[in-house]
Parts: sequence; structure tokens; C-alpha cells
Amino acid sequence: MTSLDATTDAARRPFPGRRARFGDLILQGTAGIAAVGALVLVGLIVWKIASGARPALHAFGLPFVWHVVWNPVHGREAYGAGSFLFGTAVTSIGALLLATPIALGVALFLSELAPGWIRGPVTALVETLAAIPSVVIGLWGILVLAPILRDHVDPALHSTIGFIPLFGPSSYGSNVFTGIVVLTIMILPIIASISRELFLTVPQELKEGALGLGVTRWEMVRGVVFPYAGGGVAAAMILGFGRAVGEAIAVALVLGDGLGIHLNLFDTGQTLGGKIALNYQGSGSGLETSSLIYLALILLVFSILVNLLAQLIVRRAARRKGLAA
Amino acid sequence: MPRNGKLVRVSLVAAAAAGVAVVAVVIAGTASAKTTAGSVNGAGSTFVAPLVAKWEAPVSSALGISLNYNPVGSGGGVSAITNKQADFGASDAPLSQFDPTCSSCVQIPWALAATGVIYNLGSLQHLNMTGQVLAKIFQGKITNWNSPAITKLNKGKSIPSKQITVVHRSDSSGTTYNFTDYLSHVSSGWKSSVGTGTSVSWPTGEGEAKSAGVAGGVRTTPGAIGYVDVYYAVHNHLGLFKMKNRSGNFVQPRAKGILAAASLDTHPAKDGSLSIVNPPKSKKFRNAYPICTYTYVDVQRSSGGNATNIKKVLSWAITMGQSFGPALIFEPLPKAVVAFDKKQIKKIHS
Repeated sequence: MTSLDATTDAARRPFPGRRARFGDLILQGTAGIAAVGALVLVGLIVWKIASGARPALHAFGLPFVWHVVWNPVHGREAYGAGSFLFGTAVTSIGALLLATPIALGVALFLSELAPGWIRGPVTALVETLAAIPSVVIGLWGILVLAPILRDHVDPALHSTIGFIPLFGPSSYGSNVFTGIVVLTIMILPIIASISRELFLTVPQELKEGALGLGVTRWEMVRGVVFPYAGGGVAAAMILGFGRAVGEAIAVALVLGDGLGIHLNLFDTGQTLGGKIALNYQGSGSGLETSSLIYLALILLVFSILVNLLAQLIVRRAARRKGLAA
Repeated sequence: MPRNGKLVRVSLVAAAAAGVAVVAVVIAGTASAKTTAGSVNGAGSTFVAPLVAKWEAPVSSALGISLNYNPVGSGGGVSAITNKQADFGASDAPLSQFDPTCSSCVQIPWALAATGVIYNLGSLQHLNMTGQVLAKIFQGKITNWNSPAITKLNKGKSIPSKQITVVHRSDSSGTTYNFTDYLSHVSSGWKSSVGTGTSVSWPTGEGEAKSAGVAGGVRTTPGAIGYVDVYYAVHNHLGLFKMKNRSGNFVQPRAKGILAAASLDTHPAKDGSLSIVNPPKSKKFRNAYPICTYTYVDVQRSSGGNATNIKKVLSWAITMGQSFGPALIFEPLPKAVVAFDKKQIKKIHS
């Protein structure tokens, strides 16, 4: 809103004094409707979710958010989001930690290091990876990745660094670690392709200047490329994080639908989105349905917070660079 | 000038909104026009969906009615019929299990099936199992295959020392209802700590979506145990337990065992529900498979203009329709149940 007001009247009408042309009016009208429509849609979604969650809000109140229970059995119904909030946080943060270094490596390689003939095809491949539907990755996760992880990777990790409680005993093919790896594959190309484009925007003079001062290539990357693109990379990470948080289908298929809060990554888990996707259709009671919508409300608030955080970081980075919006 | 521009803009917005409204009305009009042309629309159980899918073509040719079924799950089916969004709702659990439920509905048992318990122990086939031991496994109290409780049932077979991985459904399901209903019947521990439902709070194990997910999880995990619609159990080439019934026999989930169990309860309760899990010890149930279930169709008593068509389709389903079942391991309804169903269908009016 504020940015609209800041635009001067002259900027909106390129020829002051002349009557606005019909074409301009149509453009303004349709664009205006689209903008208002988007706002109305978001408003309706929030209102609908809030009203759908009301019975659960009434029954369980705020403690629903951290209670670790989900029992839909007739006569002993009890619901809480704690387990799924934990699962969402662990899988998304884990995926972000795994994906970021790899994605930055890919982006640096493609923007700074790779010879020209590799650049084009690999860039195209990375972007294709970003376009694979999540349900396909989820299926592949179940059929291919989960058995490999269960039979080879999980036991190897457990026997070598099993003293860390994160890598406890494993027996389930569908577990939190599988979910993290699947999410990593999904968000890696997002972070990589955005970071690559940001690295390309670093002015050539700055890079050449640094190299001219006799620094190594790595020192140039650390001293020039990262600081210049830092804010954007942070935003790319948060974008990837946002996708990991909201992802339902792929993780619903590979997490094993566990309940509880535990350190062992090789145990089963569940996320907010996964629980909703799996149980909404077959929900047997009004209270269960309402509790699932309550989960959606929590997910919505969580995503909005992540988005706001991303905007804040980008704006601060831009201001630091002296390009305040 | 600016004021004038604003006015034009506002009127444009209004015109566009009106346009959108007109389009919406036209779309809604065509959609509602479609339902009046001799069709019966249902939603619900995924368990019964393969059978209803088999019915669609013959219903269309025999009755001239197009039968449309949307497998959204039992809970979705009950809520669709409760809110009159469909002509019928199909559910694996009886209506009494739902809250809110459809108090103005008639409940009609329309298909008969069973749940198979599958396992992955390489080439070891046809192992024996009892309900009590099964309940302990699914509670996480028995965790190794060569536990004496299991080896005792399978003398002469060399069962390896292997960790048991429990696989269950992660979505809501009539199969889960049937399975947990059985465990609640045979184990008081299960009944008090977990209970019966289309989805429950599992004490242990890995959850997978749909029967295909459970079958896949068991297939790829050595030492796994799970439960699926008997059709999946038979067609997945996995180990399939012979379950001990109360007469002391170990029985496979095949036609003979299911039909024997079905004779347990052929006189539905007033609300139309029937329970046939775990038949008692008797000569009649010597060969009964203990994890069998009826699945139901629910219809509003006053179904409005489409009542005649709905009654035609249901009458066909409980008679002619049953012959399509055995290929999918749905066994034909016993005569007494068909007679009851006919009475129930008579209660439907416009």
C-alpha cells in the first residue's frame, strides 16, 4: 500500500494534462480487479480456516499447539499438534542444513568455475529438477530411496556415529531421515538456481578488482560474491525452507506417520501438511476434521511468519548495500 | 478529472464483477442440469471402490442409470450423505461410529469382505497366528520373530531371529476399522489401550498410505508385518497368515472362511449394522476366518426426486451386483441379509 502511495501522479500518467486513454483504463481496471481479487481470496481462506478450526479451538484451546497426542478413536478423541509441529521443524531445518551447502556449491560452480560447455546443460538440468512434481519425488522416495537408505545408509550412519543420539537404531524404511533427504532434493534446485542468478549479478569489475589485488579465487568468492549476494541467498534459503514447510504429499509418503517427539532421525515422524493430506478425506468425526483444520491454521501462521522473515532479511540486506527500497 | 477517472474505474470494476457472476451462474446451471439425467452419485469408502467400479458399466446397460462413485473415504462418504451432497455414502464402519452421524439415513450392508494379515519372512509361507499374539505384536510387546509365542504356533518351521517391523495404515480406512475391531474382540489390553476405529493412535510401527502402501512397505522390509484388504493380500505374493479361530482351527482368508463367518450375524441390528469378527466356538464356525466385515451404504430416507433411481441401483447391487464380487474377493451376501436389505431399501422414499 505504502509503495503505491509513494508513486507520484505524474508517474502513473505519462502524459499529464491528457485524458487517460481507454486502453489505460482497461489495464488499470483489470489489474486492479486482479489485485483486489488476490486480497479477497487470501481473506476468504483465512476466514474459512479460522471458522473451520473453531470447534477444535473451543475444545482444546491454545495447548493444542504443543500437545503430543492424536487419537481419533470414537469416545476417546484427543488431538494436539505438538508432534507434527516438531516433525515439520525437524524435517524442514534438516533439509535446509543439508541443501544449502550443496546448492551454494552448485551455484558457485555454475556461475564462477564451470567451463562454458558444461554451464548450459547443467543449469538446465538443475532447473528441471525444480520442476519435478513433489508426488513423483515422493513415489521415488518410497520405491527407490527409502530401501537404499534403510539397508545401507541408515545402518552405516548408526554404526559409525551412532553415539550421537540423532543416529539411533533403525528399522523403518519410512522415517524422518528419509523425509529430510527427499525434502533436500526438492529444495536444493530452488536455492541453487536463485543463488546462481544472484552470483551472476555481482559486477565483473568488483570480481576482477579483487583478483587484481592478488587474492585467490576462494578469497574473491568469500570477500566479494558472498557479501554482495548474501541477502538474496538468505531469501532463497527461506524460500526453500518455506517450500519444505508446506510440502505435504512427498513427506506424507516417506515419514512413516509416527507420533511423538524424539531425537532419533531413524524413527518415524509426521508433519503438519502430511497429517492433513493423509487424514482429511477419511476423517470420521467433526472434531477430527476441525482439528485437522486447526493444523492448517498453524501451518498458515507458520508460513506467513517465514515469509515475513524473508522480506525482513532481504530489506535489511538491501539497506546495507545502500539500495534501500 | 481525477474524480471522473475514479468513477470510470469503479464502474469498470462493477462491470467485470458482474461478468464473473454471469459466468459463475452459467457454470452452476450446466452442472445442476447434468444430474437430472438418470444418474446416481455416491461417495465414500475406498475399500468397496473396486467393486462399485465394476458395477458402473452393467448398471448403465441394465438400468439405464449412470452410477458415479467418488472414493473419498468412509468419513467423507458419511459427511457427504449427511449434508445431502450425494445420493448415497459408503462406509466400512457402521454409522454409529461417526460424530456427527446421519440420523435420517438408512444403513444397508451391501458387501462382504475380509482383512488379511501379511508378513515378509522370505520364502516362509502359511505361518499360523492368533489374535492375542497379533495384538501383542501391534502393541510393540513382541518384537522378534522367534519369540516363543510365535514359534509355539509354528512347530516344525524354522523362524529366524529377526526384528518385527509393524506396518499399518496412515490414512483413515475401513480395513483399519475391521482389523482393530478384531484385536479389540480378542485382546482386552488392546481394547483398553488402543480401541477400535477407522484410524487409531498406534502404539508402534510405520504408517503407510492405502493398502498399496502397506503392501509395498511389507514387501520392501524384511521382517515386516501388516494388514491389507484381502484382495491385496492374495495378489501380492507375500506371506499370508492362517488365523486361528475360536474353534481352534487356522484358516486362510478365502471364500469358504469368509462365508462361514458371514453366517454369524445375518440379522442386522435395528440400525442395520452387523458384526462378524471373531465368531464363537461352534461346529458351524469351524472354518470361519475371524477378521471379516460387512461394508455399508447409507442413504437418506427422504431422497427427493432421485429416490426411484437410487432404489433401483441398490436393489441391483445387493442381488445381481454380488456376482461381480468373488473376482475381487468380496463374497456374496447371505440370503437373510439380502432380505433385510430389501426391507431397508423400501424405507427410502422421495
